Amino acid sequence: MINQKNVQTDIEQQITIRFKFYKKEEFKYLSHLDIVRILCRALNRAGFKVAYSSGYNPKPRLRFSPPTPLGIESFAEYGEVIVNDNIDGNEFKEKINKELNDKIQIVEAKSLPGKADSFMNEIAVNLYTFVLDTTDYSSSSLSPSSSSDITKILLDKFYSDILGGLIEKSDFMSSIYRYEMLPSNESSNIFFLKIYGYAKIFKEKNNNFFKFNNFYLFLKECLKEYRVSINNVKKEESFTLDDNGINAMQI
Amino acid sequence: MKEIKILNFDVLEKLLEGIEKPGRYINTEIGVKSKNPLLGENRKFDNEVLMALVFPDIYEVGMSNLGLQILYDIVNKNEGFSAERVFSPWIDFEKKLREENVKIFSLENRIFLDCFDIVGFTIQHELLYTNILNMLDLGRINIYSKQRDEKSPVICAGGPAAVNPQPISKFMDFFVIGDGEEIIMHILQVLKVYKKSGKGKRWFLKEISRLDGIYVPEFYKFYYYPDGRIKKIEPEKKIKKAVIKNLDEFKIVSNPVIPNIRTIHDRFIVEIMRGCPRGCRFCQAGFIYRPVRKRNVESLTRQSAEGLKNTGYDEISFLSLSSSDYSEIEKLIRDTVSLYHSNQSGKLSISLPSLRLDSFNLKLMKLIQTGRKTGLTFAPEAGSQRMRDIINKNIKESDMIETIKMAFDEGWEKIKLYFMIGLPFENEDDVCEITELIKRIIAAAKEKLPRKKLSRLKINVSINAFCPKPFTPFQWAPQDHPENLQKKFNYILKNVPGRYVDIKWVDPCKSIVECALSRGNELVCDVIEYAWRSGAKFDNWSDFFNFNVWEESFKKAGLDTGLFTTVGFSEDEILPWDVIDVGISKEFLLKEYDKSKKCADRYRTADYNKV
Repeated sequence: MINQKNVQTDIEQQITIRFKFYKKEEFKYLSHLDIVRILCRALNRAGFKVAYSSGYNPKPRLRFSPPTPLGIESFAEYGEVIVNDNIDGNEFKEKINKELNDKIQIVEAKSLPGKADSFMNEIAVNLYTFVLDTTDYSSSSLSPSSSSDITKILLDKFYSDILGGLIEKSDFMSSIYRYEMLPSNESSNIFFLKIYGYAKIFKEKNNNFFKFNNFYLFLKECLKEYRVSINNVKKEESFTLDDNGINAMQI
Repeated sequence: MKEIKILNFDVLEKLLEGIEKPGRYINTEIGVKSKNPLLGENRKFDNEVLMALVFPDIYEVGMSNLGLQILYDIVNKNEGFSAERVFSPWIDFEKKLREENVKIFSLENRIFLDCFDIVGFTIQHELLYTNILNMLDLGRINIYSKQRDEKSPVICAGGPAAVNPQPISKFMDFFVIGDGEEIIMHILQVLKVYKKSGKGKRWFLKEISRLDGIYVPEFYKFYYYPDGRIKKIEPEKKIKKAVIKNLDEFKIVSNPVIPNIRTIHDRFIVEIMRGCPRGCRFCQAGFIYRPVRKRNVESLTRQSAEGLKNTGYDEISFLSLSSSDYSEIEKLIRDTVSLYHSNQSGKLSISLPSLRLDSFNLKLMKLIQTGRKTGLTFAPEAGSQRMRDIINKNIKESDMIETIKMAFDEGWEKIKLYFMIGLPFENEDDVCEITELIKRIIAAAKEKLPRKKLSRLKINVSINAFCPKPFTPFQWAPQDHPENLQKKFNYILKNVPGRYVDIKWVDPCKSIVECALSRGNELVCDVIEYAWRSGAKFDNWSDFFNFNVWEESFKKAGLDTGLFTTVGFSEDEILPWDVIDVGISKEFLLKEYDKSKKCADRYRTADYNKV
């Protein structure tokens, strides 16, 4: 065997870099493992001396927030890497972003001395935004003589059904911290359904975490009745949770 | 200039809903080099000659092919030319495209296939022929060369499964035989003149047919005897293979396209040598890639390190048909590793495909081993020394057992063995010897491994039916009958100790079709069309391969499969691939075939004691 010794001689020099990144457009079609491989290679290209685990099959010391489902854009992905280099967050961000497509970019990075504790399990709540399009609903409900008043009544019904019944009474409610529906400013037919789903189980508050894929199928099925389509979904933010409520994740 | 139409991203998004591995159909990889119409001065491809490089298999397979990366790199380095990649959609996406009436498109700019100036297929094996027709059809391009007009892209093919062009000659405007590096830009330069001037496709084909390596089916006529054998080929002049003399004149692709999704060979690939100095008589690659050309070790090391730095890969594959015959292989490995460590902190994994295993090369295996010991692969191909002499595979059983014993001493526990059955002049003893050899390997393991380790021993045996290929000494040989092959395999399966051995066996019917397609003449074109129309595609995937469809298609074309398989060719007849001069004379191949016959006779007459 060729002696391929790891360079990590001085543990003191190791630092942990935490970073937040997004994956959008085409990159939402790549799986979690694909993204991990893409970032690993980008780290190598950028020339960072990534620390490796010891043992038979050394692996780069890299950790990620739990997978976002395939097909969902995400603006709240988190990573952590241990490197044998003394670099600050900004330098890290600048260097690695050059090695990445502009549809997957690091927005924030921070370096901590030594091997910091992982912050991944602090993620308590994820916010998913569903863009709902009621164009089909409103146009198909319109009889030739009907006025915009009728449309409004129907939309109100849809609105209240969604809020008061569908989600509240579903099995998913126990895994949802909060949800809200907001009209869009740009178009009267577009609504944002914001779901704050639990990313992990809290014994007192919830005994369920939010299963995105199941919810997505459920919602799609329910919306059929109203002829409302889901235009787009994104994971927008992750939060920590304390007695005062939720706070956006800080790296 | 015709209008270039592209597929919009929002349409693609709708199409990708519910599709397996959507990453196959998007283009955001690092290393993409096609010209970008949105960044260029003219926002259209007004000045570019557009080439579609098509790999008629799925993304994961195609992106592991070095040839595709080489051609892609060369074309895109040239101002005024742009190459984009097209892979075969998987079954689910094809269904969606057909349902929604959307034509197949390239990855980079999502240009529809029929908007390219030229479409080039790289064909790795014969069981992909149906995929070619399927892809032309998905691009709404007429599959027949004769029925395509001046508006249609020029369609061509190259690669190892195009060395006998006849079985797909009706579908292609021309073929490229041999090395593509030099010839591709010559072709595209002429194409540019053809596209800019009012000169016709025929002018273009005439013009490029002057180059070595270009076969234009339209310019050749085959005459047949009533029994289907070839009477005459007109003109008699053969097409010489295109050869690059010096590999070092073409730098390795050190900034390839890096796939986003996992491919079958997800690593940095470097070709260290082209051609093989061995002369295994069954091996087509060993003959068609001659002469042997090796790259200079110093520049190879430098370029490898550069490539690893550019790509961020932590695994490299030194590719050739026989890596251990690259004389400076050890230096190459050591120097590449040490250069790698001047940039990187992790370990570099090295893979050496087609490594001939003997005691010397086991040291090489030890050298490249990082972490857990993976399996060792041996390819004795045949069980008996007689058979190995016939096929000219120079492996001695004693050496092999010795190496395996050493490997057990060093801690390896997994062994993979490759065998073929149905080789020319094979008799019962030869088949029997396969099981005996496996038993002797198990005995060696029992001798070397402690009981605890012995229980973990796994010998994976892969058995293939031999398929005689054009341009080999066995090109005339009859293929074994499928019933015989099945019998031989059953014998092996029954007589090998099941405890330590896992046997894999490739459906002999697949081998029959492969043989008929590789040694076929132009009448086989119809067979391929019928099979494809009856749903044949991805024929190398066992889930899709349907022998009945092929049998029916041969029948419908009025052809006896036996003509190209079990009957074989007589040594004085004209062969369908005689129109190509691959650089090895028929006399040489015949001499080699005679040698193998002599080996068979010698063992028949001499007192042959099994050792």
